[in-house]
Amino acid sequence: MSEFFLNLGTGLRWLGFGALPLLLLPLLVFALPARLARPANWLRTKLDAISSATLGLSMTLAIFMVAVQLLVIIGRYMFDWSASWANDLIIYSFAAMFLLAAGSTLKHDAHVRVDILREGMSAKQRAAVDLAGLYLLLFPICLLIIWASVSPSFIRSWANFEGARESDGLPITYIFKTLVPLFAILLTLQGLSMALRSALTLRGHTDTPDAPASNAEAAHGN
Amino acid sequence: MEIEVILAISMFLVAIGALLAGFPVAFTLGGVALVFALIGISLDVVYLSDLKNFPARIDGIMRNGVLVAVPFFVIMGVVLERSRVAEDLLAIASRLLGQIRGGLGYAVVLVGALLAASTGIVGATVITMTLIALPTMLKQGYDPKLATGIITSSGTLGQIIPPSIVLILLADAIANASAQASTGLGGRAVSISVQDLFSGALIPGLLLVCLYLAYIAFNAITRPQSCPPADVSDLPPLTARQIAMGLGAPIALIFAVLGSILLGITPPTEAAAIGAGGAVLLAGFRLSEDTPTKLRPLLFVGLASAALLLILNQSFELSVKQDTLTTADKIAQFIAFACIGGLLAGLGAGLLILRRARHLKSAFMSASHITSMVFTILIGASLFSLVFTGSFRGDEMIEGVLTAMPGGMWGALAITMLVMFVLGFFLDFIEIIFIIVPLVAPPLIVLGVDPIWLAILMALNLQTSFLTPPFGFALFYLRGAAPDSVQTLDIWRGALPFIGLQIIMIIAVAAIPALATWLPSLGAS
Repeated sequence: MSEFFLNLGTGLRWLGFGALPLLLLPLLVFALPARLARPANWLRTKLDAISSATLGLSMTLAIFMVAVQLLVIIGRYMFDWSASWANDLIIYSFAAMFLLAAGSTLKHDAHVRVDILREGMSAKQRAAVDLAGLYLLLFPICLLIIWASVSPSFIRSWANFEGARESDGLPITYIFKTLVPLFAILLTLQGLSMALRSALTLRGHTDTPDAPASNAEAAHGN
Repeated sequence: MEIEVILAISMFLVAIGALLAGFPVAFTLGGVALVFALIGISLDVVYLSDLKNFPARIDGIMRNGVLVAVPFFVIMGVVLERSRVAEDLLAIASRLLGQIRGGLGYAVVLVGALLAASTGIVGATVITMTLIALPTMLKQGYDPKLATGIITSSGTLGQIIPPSIVLILLADAIANASAQASTGLGGRAVSISVQDLFSGALIPGLLLVCLYLAYIAFNAITRPQSCPPADVSDLPPLTARQIAMGLGAPIALIFAVLGSILLGITPPTEAAAIGAGGAVLLAGFRLSEDTPTKLRPLLFVGLASAALLLILNQSFELSVKQDTLTTADKIAQFIAFACIGGLLAGLGAGLLILRRARHLKSAFMSASHITSMVFTILIGASLFSLVFTGSFRGDEMIEGVLTAMPGGMWGALAITMLVMFVLGFFLDFIEIIFIIVPLVAPPLIVLGVDPIWLAILMALNLQTSFLTPPFGFALFYLRGAAPDSVQTLDIWRGALPFIGLQIIMIIAVAAIPALATWLPSLGAS
């Protein structure tokens, strides 16, 4: 079994290296905007859809964790009942809630920015800042997280289906640990979409497929 | 100078410069740190293995049980806001108090203090109150300077009055700093909990509310034309039902949550979850008033089940571990299980009503986004501190600067406050907590500063910073939401007296530490 996961890990690693050139796509779009605008926008809708899907999961977990926490409270104070798996359920939902929403948070521009200077910038200047930020800051962080988190101990965790520390804990520690590289992958994918948009904006192609997303944003904004 | 010191200083300066470019803060902090770590690696002063510890830091954040309270409070806040419960609170308070001179002002201050739980972070309080209260105040002839000053300052009150989210984050940071400082103090550890910080913030927060109210009263007496009573003769009188639902219910919920934390009945995380559940029920009631639905009875079932559970718990032995239960106990247990079903049905009904009113998705999307935003900053900041502290020993440098300050503890405290005040112009509360507090708090605590006192001073200080023109956050939020007829200069001038009140409060807490430390010490003994 561990052999299998070691092989799978190596395979995924090479797949990851193989996918790295995808990050250069926005630069290609920047070079050839007229030819690549349509495929770029098509890719963006797909990438945005991934973020929306994981956001849905995050929102569901948010409701779920409130319910579980309330049941744990009732169990503890009234029925003299407690279980590690129930507490794990809350902690795991909490972690998954904020990690899985990361891509969507980027998509909806809900991350805090210092906007003293940004307010006075043109759309193109903002796109330039975003493009530079993605390549110099966001992508390197994500690659670091993926590189450092997919470690031998992580692969061992999968190979053994690492369980909980407590005997009655939730035995899915290996899935919990997978959230960390998943978070970085989701951020990278949404970052890729953002980079494509910024590249198109810089070349004067204001985007069309963004309309549904910006509507959702308006509904969310206030 | 050693190369690490140069790298640490330039990393800090580059980070601040990069932040001003306007890329999201979380990634700017982490990314700049990563770039400098790579420079350090190429210069052989940083080990690659330092960076390998980063996932372990993220894992620590994911397992932090104290911080689970944050999404619960965020959910409570967004649900109350989307279902217009918060709006009603302000509207009814204004109607009740508006008929006296300065009354609208009192209402804004009190509601701002009450809304603390929901919106410590994003300035949503300022925006909500600007949209609802400012037009009314201006229409009734309030001096724009006074009106905007009241709104901006009340909006920042939410940060200092428990149960604010930033206080939870600050408590976590101060607790870590305090544990770190204990080695410097020879193992004399002072453990700090969220509850400590909540009770420490209570007296200064309430005194601040009193100062604000007193200032409005002072205006009402000396300059009656600046805050005239509202004319409500053309509006139908409020019914007792409206007051009970719109004012009584949310206040009861907020007091229940806050009370159970301060009295130590439940840990903050559990109280926050109860608050979130209560907010869903409350939102269900509020929204089903406008559009009648068959789900409404289920809300009553949920509420009654919760009450019945409490009563059964008082009167019977419900423990599932006891073998020797009497028949009465067993029946009570059975009813209690049914009550859990009833409670869940009530919550489900509340969620369904929210969904039909098209608020469910937007509320929980906000909750996910806000939570993700907060914790992504925490992740970025932890990479920053991993490099700054772990690799460059920047914490020792800061410790050196602080301990070398003339005036000992007071000198170190003063320079810290000054730096934080300036940083407050362009960094939000959360970033300062995650980046600055871990660096400055341990040496300050070793120098003899009480951790709780320090946290409260920091909170008051930052709150003042957010009010200070021209960069204060609250002023920007108000400017964004206020009508164009309001002059920006008036907004700035209106904030000045409140900055004065803030400074009075900071001096008072600095001079009399017991204001912050007395209540928590009661809990400890």
